[in-house]
Formats: sequence, structure tokens, C-alpha cells
Amino acid sequence: VRGDGQELRRMSFFFQELVNGITTGALYSLVALGFSMVYGVLKLLNFAHGDLYMIGAYVGFFVIQWFGGAANVGIPVPLLLAIMFLLAAGVSGGLGVAIERFAYRPLRDAPRIAPLITAIGISFFLENAVLLLFGAQYRIYNTPEFISLSSGIRIGSVTIDTVQIMVLVLSAALMAGLQLLVNRTTWGKQVRAVAADREAAEMLGINVNFTISMTFFLGSALAGVAGVMGGLLFNQVTNTIGFIIGLKAFTAAVVGGIGSLPGAMLGGLLIGLAESFTIGYISSTYSNLLVFALLIIVMLVRPSGLLGQAQLQKV
Amino acid sequence: MEAYPVKRRLIIAAAAVGSLAVAGCSSSSSSSTAASSGGTTSASAAAKTCVASIGLEAPITGSVAPLGQEQLHFAQLAVAMDNAANKTQITLVQGDTQLNPAQATTVSQQFISNSSILAVVGPAGSQEVEAIGSPMGRAGMAFISGSATAVALTTGKYPTFFRVVSKDSVQGPQDANYIVKTLHPKSLMIVDDQEAYSTGLVSAMVPVFQAAGIKVDHESVSQKVTDFSSLVAKVTPATSVVVLPWQIAANAQQFGRDLAQQHKTAVIFGTDGLFSPGTFTINGSYVSSFGPDITAIPADVAIASAAKAKYGSFGTFGPPVYAATHVVDEAIASVCKAGQTPSRSNVLTAIKNTSEPASILGQPISFDSHGDLVNGKFFLFKINSTGKYQLIPSS
Repeated sequence: VRGDGQELRRMSFFFQELVNGITTGALYSLVALGFSMVYGVLKLLNFAHGDLYMIGAYVGFFVIQWFGGAANVGIPVPLLLAIMFLLAAGVSGGLGVAIERFAYRPLRDAPRIAPLITAIGISFFLENAVLLLFGAQYRIYNTPEFISLSSGIRIGSVTIDTVQIMVLVLSAALMAGLQLLVNRTTWGKQVRAVAADREAAEMLGINVNFTISMTFFLGSALAGVAGVMGGLLFNQVTNTIGFIIGLKAFTAAVVGGIGSLPGAMLGGLLIGLAESFTIGYISSTYSNLLVFALLIIVMLVRPSGLLGQAQLQKV
Repeated sequence: MEAYPVKRRLIIAAAAVGSLAVAGCSSSSSSSTAASSGGTTSASAAAKTCVASIGLEAPITGSVAPLGQEQLHFAQLAVAMDNAANKTQITLVQGDTQLNPAQATTVSQQFISNSSILAVVGPAGSQEVEAIGSPMGRAGMAFISGSATAVALTTGKYPTFFRVVSKDSVQGPQDANYIVKTLHPKSLMIVDDQEAYSTGLVSAMVPVFQAAGIKVDHESVSQKVTDFSSLVAKVTPATSVVVLPWQIAANAQQFGRDLAQQHKTAVIFGTDGLFSPGTFTINGSYVSSFGPDITAIPADVAIASAAKAKYGSFGTFGPPVYAATHVVDEAIASVCKAGQTPSRSNVLTAIKNTSEPASILGQPISFDSHGDLVNGKFFLFKINSTGKYQLIPSS
């Protein structure tokens, strides 16, 4: 009986880490999608992408304050959440479009290093602008005040709370929706055409600037939504939270195959699970070490990422 | 250098806050804090003879900016209040180190090359002190930290370094002994945040736990991490205490939420940075702090009120910086009163001779020959169900 109890605890522990890993991975995937989309159409590593996640998280926080604060929300919680997600998507998406228009578009034909450095500059600009505007203090979502920690599913000692369920369902829906949008719509065809050959797409009458702007909007909106999810899950917002998630999402995009949307999703989940199981079964000390070792191994075995396609070079 | 009576402090605080407001000195908009005027003819006459600058090294931006901003605010407040009290004209020059030793080195070089800066308040982190200790020593510039607690800093290798807080070799064993004797854990988890401050405290605590036969699960997680769900899953039913010697209270709050979400009952025992009544409110948790809760010290009412009115709520990182700044201000004022022109050398000597019978920290301030605070104390608080911090008297 004692052995069975230990076995049950081991299984519970495994499933708890699995749930934690998938939840975090879903967040990474959403942010990684934006990285991959932008890279797909512009071949640009948009290092400011993590900061759009941060902006989304702030928008979510201010929406909560708008409607009376976490302990005293004046509207139904589902409506509050809908407003948080929509507004965060809109603000982050709009900001992404503005960044593309004013910072990246003028450099579209410049050597690749120029927009890359600009992206890093934009990242610092956003972080410090938010610091100036909203101060350095941590803003706390206080999610349990309006979504009870005891709500959700509990199987044995495995707990999946309502926020985790919401993150998983919404992430899956957004990823599926994005896949449909890119693969089944005219706009999706245009995006793929621009990604394949921008000049040829332009000659075929595709409005390249509009297509790129829309790509930035969608990718940034996903980061904004992920920011609200992060705020709900991790409860805290500050101007530097975008850095680490941006780095992880970038890693996820590269592991999955940068430019590939299914690759970004897969990469995000892999990174989330790798982190979770490393912390659970080895040590939290080595989680980053092993995550980035995973990146190196994947790069050595498949330089184009797990689902990426090797680029043909004309000689 | 006697502590001000409460009434006088109130008047000075009001004058200081008023002058700060008029001068429009905000943390975000000025790179230096101009001294507030004394408001009288004699004050301006005296100010002409006692003009100096002091540097402030703090993580004003970056991941621990909330602590750095608090330190900045209290340094500004101390300068304003001391200028008003001493009729000096001391200005504060800000240096943002981001808790990064490389950045601290750059800032220190700037301060050293600025001949108007006579002493420095800061830096915040022990790792930063290690980086700048030698160049500051060569420049003969005194620097006083309000939060660097590593034991190795005061072995005599940095002759111009001082601190107004006690060191890890006092706090670590004191906290560990309290945990062993009061909370009686059979198994505990201790999680460092990969910074010198945190690993130093862990090194001081773990031997005490091991000597008591407690099973210790030592984990490590970056300050930048905000997802603790996987780590919390490792907290076993037998683990009754989780020790978090962290600097970011919001992270500990999330850790506590993750414990609750996974139905774990371990008690959190945190240090210094977790003293943040508005942020870390997990019921039943303990926080050990190198600074007292100055809102509960009657003699500090004026300063606490002025700080709250001007900057909002605060934790325990600001008051020690106020104390450090006050030591420098008083040293400069004492040099001026002696009829000398303040220089790095005579200000350093005056700081070495500091003997304040009372301070904002609720204890006297004087330094031993290595720059350590004499008879430094730590304070232990327990958080109740309303999120209020209650001082544990025996601590």
C-alpha cells in the first residue's frame, strides 16, 4: 500500500509538471508565433516583440483598475476578461503596426544588421518609456480576487485552475485560428506570397506594405493577449517582464523552425515542458542551462529547426 | 550629531517636502537633486560656505528598480531635510547601476572623476561593492551602502566602505535559528535568486539547518522568473517551510499564490526585499529585515509621513539609504562647521568618526574599523490574515 501511495504521488507529480509545462509552453507559443510571422515576411528578428507582451500585460492591469480593481470588479468577470484581451490585443497590435511603420519600414532595404539593432533599441525604448510613465513598482493583478484559486479541476493532488484552463483553451483556439487564417484565406495567401518573394508579390499586385502591417498587427496582438494571460497567471507586471519571455519565445521560434507557425507552437510547448520537467526532476538551478542546451542540440541536428525548411541558395 | 526631536523633524519634513514639490524634483525627471533652500538669509549665507555633491548609486532602472527607486526617494528626502536643518547646499547626483557590477563600475568612475562629489551613497548590491571597492579606495572616496550585506565586504580590503545595515553572518544564522527553534521543520526548501545577496544568505543558513538535522532542498531561480508553478510542485507534504531570501516581493507573492493553488501548506520565510506590505501579503509568512518598519517608530513619524506623502508606500530598502545619506550629510556639515572646506579626505575622516546616538533605523550608528555598523540589528515580522506586518518582539 505504501508503495502504491508513492507511485500515485510520483504520477501526480508528473501530471502536475505536465500541466504546468503545457500552460507555460502555450504562453511561449503565442509570443513565438509573432516572432515567426515577422521573421517570415521580413526576415527580421523583432527583439521588441517581448515588450509588446509587457504592454499587453499593463493594458490588462489597467482594465482591472478601470472596473473597480481586483477585489471589487464592477462588471461580470467574463466581460472583464473579454475587454482585457480585446483591448490588450488592440493596443499591442496597434503599437506593433506603428513600430513597423516608423522604425522598420524605413530600413527595409538596409543591411540586415540595421533593423536588428533598431529592434533592440525599440525594446529598450519601450521598457524605459513604461518605466517613466508608470513607475518602477510591480503592478499586481490579484487574479485570485476575481477568479478563485479553488475553482478549476482537481484530480487527486493534480490541480488545474480556471486560469490555466482558460490559457490552454484560448491559446489553442488562437493558434488554430491563425493557422486557418494563414492557410485558408486570401490574406493568408498574400502573407505567404510576401514571405516567399516580396518583389514578386508586389508585381502580382499584392499590397506588400499592408500585408506586412497586418502581419505585425496580428503577431503583436497575440503578444498582447499572451501578456494578459501572463498577468493572470503570474499576477505581476513590471516594465522588464518582456525581456525573459521574449528570449524564451525567440528560442521557441528557433527550435521549432523560425518562419514556421506550427514550428513556433511546437517550440513553445517543448521549451515550456523542458523547463517544467527540468525544474521538477533535476533542479531549478539548471533549467535555463538545459533549455538552451536543447536549442544548441536542435541547431546542431536540424539547423533549420524542427519544422523549419532549409533555404535553397542559388549559386 | 543628535537625532532631531519629533516636532523639529515634522517642521523640517514639511519644509523639505514643500521645497521638493516647488522645485519639481521628481525621480523620473531630474538627473540630480538640487538642495532645497533654507529659506532665510543666514541659510543662503551659510550655504555658500558649505557646498558639496554626493553620489547615489542605486538600481534606478532594471528588474529591481522598485527597490532602487525607493532608495533614490529616501536619499532625496534625506538631502532635502538635512540641507534644511544644517543650512548646507548638498546636491545629490544620481547613478543608475541596475544592480550590475559593470554598470556600477562605470558610474563609480564617473563619480570619481567628478571632483565636486565628495562621497557616495550606495551601491545597493554586495556584488557591486566588490566591483567598485578598489577604485573607490584608490580615490579616497567614502561610500556607504544601505543594503549590501555580504560578509566579505568588511574584511578590511575596502578601506573607504561603510554600511548602515548588519551583515549576512548575523542575519543568516539568526533567521535559521529562529526557523529551527520556532517553526520546527523536518524538511524545508530554500530557494536563492541567483544574486550575491541571496546566495550569501543561503550559505549562512544552510549549515545551521544541516546541523539541526533538517532535510534541505536547495533550489535556485533567476530574479527574472515569474512562473513558480513547476518549482512549487516540488514542495512535498513534509516540507513545512520555504525560505526565500529574495529581493523582489512580487515574486514571493506569486510563489505564495502557487503554493495555495497547488494546495501546499508550507510557510514562507523571506528576507529584506520581501518586506513590502502592499505587495507581499501571504498570511502566516515571516519576513526578516535589516531595516525596521519605520512607520512603527514614533521618532520617525515625520520622515515616514513625508516619504509617504511624496512617494507613496515603501518597504525597508529606503530607510537605510536615508540613514546612509544622513551620515554623509552630517559629515559634510561637520567639516564645514569646523571651518574647513569639505574634501573627500576630511569627509571620509568625519564618516569614520560618526557617532549618532539615534537614527531613523531605531538604533545608534557608528562604524567599526572595517566599516561595519556597530551592534547591527535585524527585525523579524509575521504577516497576519489582513496582510499586516507584526514585529516579533523577541527578534
